Amino acid sequence: MNIRKLPFTNLLRKPGRTIALVLLTALLALSVFGGSVVVMSMQRGLKSLESRLGADIIVVPSSAQSKVSFKNMLLQGTTGAFYMSGENLTRTLEVEGVEKAAPQLFLASLKADCCSIKIQVIGIDPETDFIIQPWIEESCRQELGDMDVVVGCDVGVGAGDTLKIYEQYCHVTGKLAPTGTGLDSAVYCNMDTMNKLLKAAEAKGITHDITSEDEGLVSAIYVKVREGYDIGKVNSAIQGHTRKASAVRTKSMITDVSGSLSGISRTVTWLTAAIWILSLVILLIAFAMIVNERKKEFALLRLLGTSRRLLGSVIRIETAVCSLAGGIAGVMIASVFLFPFTKLIESSLGLPYLTPPLPRILLTALATLAGTVIMGSLASAWAAGRLSRVDPGIVLRGN
Amino acid sequence: MKKQKYSAVPAAVILILALVAAIGSRTFLGPCVHEDGTFGACHWAGQALFGIALVMAAEGLIAALWKNAAVRAGLYISMLLTAILGILIPGTLISLCGMASMRCRTVMRPSMMILFSLMFVAAGTGALLSREG
Repeated sequence: MNIRKLPFTNLLRKPGRTIALVLLTALLALSVFGGSVVVMSMQRGLKSLESRLGADIIVVPSSAQSKVSFKNMLLQGTTGAFYMSGENLTRTLEVEGVEKAAPQLFLASLKADCCSIKIQVIGIDPETDFIIQPWIEESCRQELGDMDVVVGCDVGVGAGDTLKIYEQYCHVTGKLAPTGTGLDSAVYCNMDTMNKLLKAAEAKGITHDITSEDEGLVSAIYVKVREGYDIGKVNSAIQGHTRKASAVRTKSMITDVSGSLSGISRTVTWLTAAIWILSLVILLIAFAMIVNERKKEFALLRLLGTSRRLLGSVIRIETAVCSLAGGIAGVMIASVFLFPFTKLIESSLGLPYLTPPLPRILLTALATLAGTVIMGSLASAWAAGRLSRVDPGIVLRGN
Repeated sequence: MKKQKYSAVPAAVILILALVAAIGSRTFLGPCVHEDGTFGACHWAGQALFGIALVMAAEGLIAALWKNAAVRAGLYISMLLTAILGILIPGTLISLCGMASMRCRTVMRPSMMILFSLMFVAAGTGALLSREG
């Protein structure tokens, strides 16, 4: 018998015990890897949204607060259909401390030929816009002319393609980087294009909350505050200067989301810790049972001249192999359920969700595997010590 | 001989997975539901997946019941190829809706690809177990 092959022979000859150990360690790895990736994705989503937003203040009609919450507007891209006078844009620009103000006009849901669901069309002013332009990831040319659109990363067309909305052919000039929110499925165009689309919808007998005759309306104004000015004070000034509008600081919205995100992170961390403690206890009990079950086997090996050190290493190798197999299985199971269903998780969570880049995922997987093997080895250390010290005479006599 | 004893197990696994895929493609794992009652491309992908899943289920049932190792191995090879077809149907052979956030892309495609990949692995294992007599 080759002593080096002994741990592997033991594992193969006792498939039930081996499978139980592998399953237990797989559960450990699954919880740690899955939990870590979910939390990292939410953090990355929020960070991306924060930098993507780019505005310090958002001005929306007072009626918007009842129609759609600001949080939903930010996180899920639920833009809704609410409008205020374009005069508010001029009034906002008049406030001291306002560096830039970019208007947006939301048109809730137009039907495009790419999809069976309706898509959000958002009208922007390319001259003043500082929200959308910096995030164009794929572009075929710079300016956003008439019947040109920029699409979110989830819309199934690329730069240079054509998107048909209400029988109108729009030229896709750019595609945006992902945000992990509903904004990824929006389409951006200039105000003239928006008007043409509205006219095309009206010609087909489809009505919206605004008509092509309504000119100068805006849904939201994104404001960048000049450096050195207090955002709170500028916010209050805008609030006082505009009519039938509410000015909201984006930082306070982001802080709200950060709060709920850290709550979720805490829950995931506690759950993972509970699973680890539970699994460690089960592993210790399992190894305590293995000690009793395998006393005779190890006593015989001692009689055959196997050293204590070698016996200890047999147990350690067996555990390491099981932990590694379980770790790989756990990481694979978590990957199968996490990565293909990213969009589903994003919409279920209702929070920004962006999967981390591949190197970071690989690093997390490696750290999980290392942690699982170390945990398994620690749990088996006591059993390895006990079994290597068995007295062959006493054990084999049955005492 | 010992390995051949277990060669019906993958067939039973395939039967269960194929039934989940067949029922799922018509219900909880199905294509996009249209408000106006019209069909998109993803509807036809769902129909094709339903048919392929039923064929897989039938092959799995026959392979589980048939005692002859050679016939069983042949059925497994056939299931292996059918599983590849199932993986390629949504999005590659039959196009889906354009928006990445749509149900056919977020639910149907990934779940069907996982189910048919598992069936592929099971069919491969079954073919190996049936071969060694």
